[in-house]
Amino acid sequence: MRRLNPSLVAGGVIVGIIVLMALVSFIWTPYDATFVDPSIRLAKPSWEHWFGTDKFGRDVLSQIMVGSRTTLFVGVVAVGVAAVIGVPLGILAAMVRRWPSEFIMRANDLVLAFPALLLAIMFGAVFGASTLTAMIAIGIASVPSFARVIRSGALQVMRTEYVLAARAAGRQPWPIAVRHVLPNVTSLITVQASVSFAIAVLAEAALSFLGFGTPPPTPSWGRMLQESQEFLFSAPRLAIFPGVAIAIAVLGFNLLGDGLRDRFDPKLEDRR
Amino acid sequence: MKSPFNKLALPTRAVAFAAAAVLAVSACSAGSSTSSGSSPGGDQSLSIGLVAEPASLDFTTTDGAAIPQALLGNVYESLVKQDDSGKIVPSLAKSWTVSPDRKTYTFDLVDNAKFTNDKPFTASDAVFSINRVKSAWTISLKGAMDVVAGAKALSPTQLEVTLSKPSNDWLFRMTTRIGAMFSESGVAKLATDPIGTGPYKFSKWNRGDSIVLERNDGYWGTKPFFHQITLKYFKDPTALNNALLTGTINVIGTVQAPEALSQFTSNDKYQVIEGTTNGEVLLSFNNSRPIFKDIRTRQAIRMAIDHKALLDTCFAGRGKLIGSMVPPTDPWYEDLTSIAPYDLAKAKSMLQASGAAGKTLLLRLPTLPYATSCGQVVKSQLEQAGLKVRIDPQEFPAAWLNTVFKNADYDMSIIAHVEPRDLGAVFNAKYYTRYDDPTLQQYLAAADSGDEAAQVDNMKKAARRLSEQAAGDWLFLLPNLIVADKNIKGLPQNAITENFDLSKLAR
Amino acid sequence: MILRLIERTGVLLVSLAVSSVLVFAFMAVLPGDPARVALGVNASEQAVAELRQQFGLDRPLTTQYVDWLGGLLHGDLGTSYVSKAEIGPQVFDRLQVTLLLVLAGMVIALLIAVPAGTLMAARHRKVSGLALSAVSQIGVAVPAFLAGILLIMLFAVKLGWLPANGWTPPAQDPAMFLQQLILPALALGLVQGAVLTRYVRSAVLDVLREDYLRTARAKGLRPFQALWRHGLRNAAVPVVTVLGLQLATLLIGAVVVERVFVIPGLGSLLLDGVSNRDLLLVQDVVMVLVIAVLLVNFLVDLLYVALDPRLRVGSR
Repeated sequence: MRRLNPSLVAGGVIVGIIVLMALVSFIWTPYDATFVDPSIRLAKPSWEHWFGTDKFGRDVLSQIMVGSRTTLFVGVVAVGVAAVIGVPLGILAAMVRRWPSEFIMRANDLVLAFPALLLAIMFGAVFGASTLTAMIAIGIASVPSFARVIRSGALQVMRTEYVLAARAAGRQPWPIAVRHVLPNVTSLITVQASVSFAIAVLAEAALSFLGFGTPPPTPSWGRMLQESQEFLFSAPRLAIFPGVAIAIAVLGFNLLGDGLRDRFDPKLEDRR
Repeated sequence: MKSPFNKLALPTRAVAFAAAAVLAVSACSAGSSTSSGSSPGGDQSLSIGLVAEPASLDFTTTDGAAIPQALLGNVYESLVKQDDSGKIVPSLAKSWTVSPDRKTYTFDLVDNAKFTNDKPFTASDAVFSINRVKSAWTISLKGAMDVVAGAKALSPTQLEVTLSKPSNDWLFRMTTRIGAMFSESGVAKLATDPIGTGPYKFSKWNRGDSIVLERNDGYWGTKPFFHQITLKYFKDPTALNNALLTGTINVIGTVQAPEALSQFTSNDKYQVIEGTTNGEVLLSFNNSRPIFKDIRTRQAIRMAIDHKALLDTCFAGRGKLIGSMVPPTDPWYEDLTSIAPYDLAKAKSMLQASGAAGKTLLLRLPTLPYATSCGQVVKSQLEQAGLKVRIDPQEFPAAWLNTVFKNADYDMSIIAHVEPRDLGAVFNAKYYTRYDDPTLQQYLAAADSGDEAAQVDNMKKAARRLSEQAAGDWLFLLPNLIVADKNIKGLPQNAITENFDLSKLAR
Repeated sequence: MILRLIERTGVLLVSLAVSSVLVFAFMAVLPGDPARVALGVNASEQAVAELRQQFGLDRPLTTQYVDWLGGLLHGDLGTSYVSKAEIGPQVFDRLQVTLLLVLAGMVIALLIAVPAGTLMAARHRKVSGLALSAVSQIGVAVPAFLAGILLIMLFAVKLGWLPANGWTPPAQDPAMFLQQLILPALALGLVQGAVLTRYVRSAVLDVLREDYLRTARAKGLRPFQALWRHGLRNAAVPVVTVLGLQLATLLIGAVVVERVFVIPGLGSLLLDGVSNRDLLLVQDVVMVLVIAVLLVNFLVDLLYVALDPRLRVGSR
């Protein structure tokens, strides 16, 4: 019998709350998150405004809610790019012969030489700063880790008896990849996606801080944090809410990744 | 003033200043006040930080406000300069006379000035410097020298400059970087080794961090107080505030984060200076767009904006509301804020009448903190009046300059024009405002060629015309905000020149 | 072992060559003419053409590439289009600053991660281990610049113990250098330490599972003793790999901490280059960063071989 995995539960709950918050924000927020009302600027938290208002008189809670969409968008795009490129590459590298495989993995290592932040800054210079360009850059930079993890998983699958049997029966590589390899590495993909998600959320915050992140007026936790700097002494709450939101989101995705890993990896199971 | 070059240069510098002009003065060796020689400050030193570091030290080929701010008046001097009240006063020229036809200027030069490469300053250096603007300078501002027909040295201390037509503006521009005096043998390495006659000489540049100036002991005028001044550059306004709070520096020259000012106003260790600048924050209209052809639309936009609330929101209420393109320090300033008072109901009905209601305007904002902030308020206020506004951020400077400034591919934008006396340059058919108004041009031409009274009178008419025609909306005037340790003296109340005058600073 | 060294060196050289082509090509396709950017939007066509010639931008791309690469090999990075200054000295100056900062951060990270990770692994079923895990999870979730801002607020502004920002070269004033280094190195080190802790934990856990450790424990050695005598070297292998990767990422990742603490490092130079559209400078900085990363990876590979006896035989 399996014990309840605390990381999985905690991570799942946190991620669930963020997704729910994003969904709810499409149909309802306490106030319009971008509505400017100078007469109530910098209001302290109250019944009307649970988290108070910012320097534009915008409701902070509403912004946090709508900002969760940006956070999820950031993660989905980055992870999507990384997975769409990295997973097939990893499987391919596991299935082809030694030299082509070596080539793929070397090319993979080469991409590692361009860290996410560097790519994002370069892309920002070429295509202009926007959430999308930054996230595609982060996604590309995350390709190598996907490819590596998936390759090692796929190698194991390739050695299993049913794959060996399928190959002996003369099945083509393509159906083997889709039928046998891919389903058996989905757990690895989920774990890696979760970890990459957390990295992307942190990267968005760092890029917003440098001015390469989400442009206004779209609410983003990273930019809220960046804009709050002027108020660190007069209204530190403006930094606390987005800062805590980012930390919780990253924590949630990391925990989820850890929990999934423990659950999928039988070798680790007896450690708990 | 009317050369297209001059006009085109404006926003670069304008914005660079507003984005960047943070000055901070720091006591590097505070306390070590053993007196060395003639100067009251002995070997005391000070360090001044700015937000945007210059890309080069050569303002003849590199645009941007950071270079003249550091070097003009400190390392380089001009023939004439502006005093605190904006009056043109002697500098390297002891005095000057103007011919009756107002086309020939004769300058009497000081005879004891010398460059830091030990060459004396003479009238032939002045001729060289003036001619060099036309030949070797590449920044667009050089157009201010186009009106000069010829310059010649009558004697080592006498210079004669002839203009092709009378121009009040020319002498004024001679107080700016255009008027800087160079040595013929000192222009080989302008980008890295500036040589001038000023109270300070260039010592070294730690790229990415600071520029160090040292007292010029061979200076011909009153020697400055400090032995050494370091200009330190901070990209982050919060870091700048922290540097002052922790005593790393002693003065913040222009506060970039006005909301954080309360840390200093509530602490009696610091003095806070609040004055005016030349930086008009302009909500510019692309007057060539059909929607702006109707004066009712333009006026309605001005009336839909609650300027007081806007200033409170995006610049913590610091700064001054102005109703036109003239700062209070100019002789022709008038309070024109009553021409378009905030009136939401009237704005709504005017937009209905002009047919603009419900239309979408593209507000292309440079990625500068004040523009981003004010843009969001403008959007919200205009939408209450019945317009739709789409904000599109443009990376500053490169993307904004290309899209908005060069190609005028925008409906509205927000930028601070910090150039002194830039009314005529900004509102012009060739400029990005695409404002084509012969009446305005008549007033400006009369102001440039007339006598002093005619100049003031015509400039007043021009400013009023702009405001009544609603050629743009003047959101507010950037404040000169300085925070400093209590004991620093000689800080300017108003920032009306291109340079930060280091020679008057003392402790 | 020798064979492996030769193979690795070959891979390094090929990677360097390929990435130089990539970086050059990327800059070549960048929209915008460097000469026009340098002269401003209203420069005349003639002036732009003259400057293009002066910069050598009118030559074929291959010639430009070969020239640039040749310069790189001699340590000559060319002259900036914008500041007209030599790029080489600037880049190496800044690289030194960033390396000092990153190394100091890494030392702090290791000082935190090795004991904390080992303890977490040894006590992984106990409350103290779980509590440490939770702390490290939170540490991983905090953005480094936020950690920096908090450190400044506390230790510089509130307590006044350390300078809030700035940088002094160690040769100029060693005491000031150290004072100014502490907070940024901590900001980097705390967050990196939390990341590393998790790797140390799992590496040590893996080692604890190994037979030789079980044997050692069966012989009556306490877990820490057994680890100390037999396990640390083995646990070091995966940790060194991660360390190498993190070090490489941090060379550019430190840019946010550089911004918070006003440190003139390589990342800041890159950002300045981007905003000034100083394209040759950007190209050089990117290339230097990539070279640094590839070199670090190469060294990690060698270290890997040196550390793991099983790998020394040569079979993989």
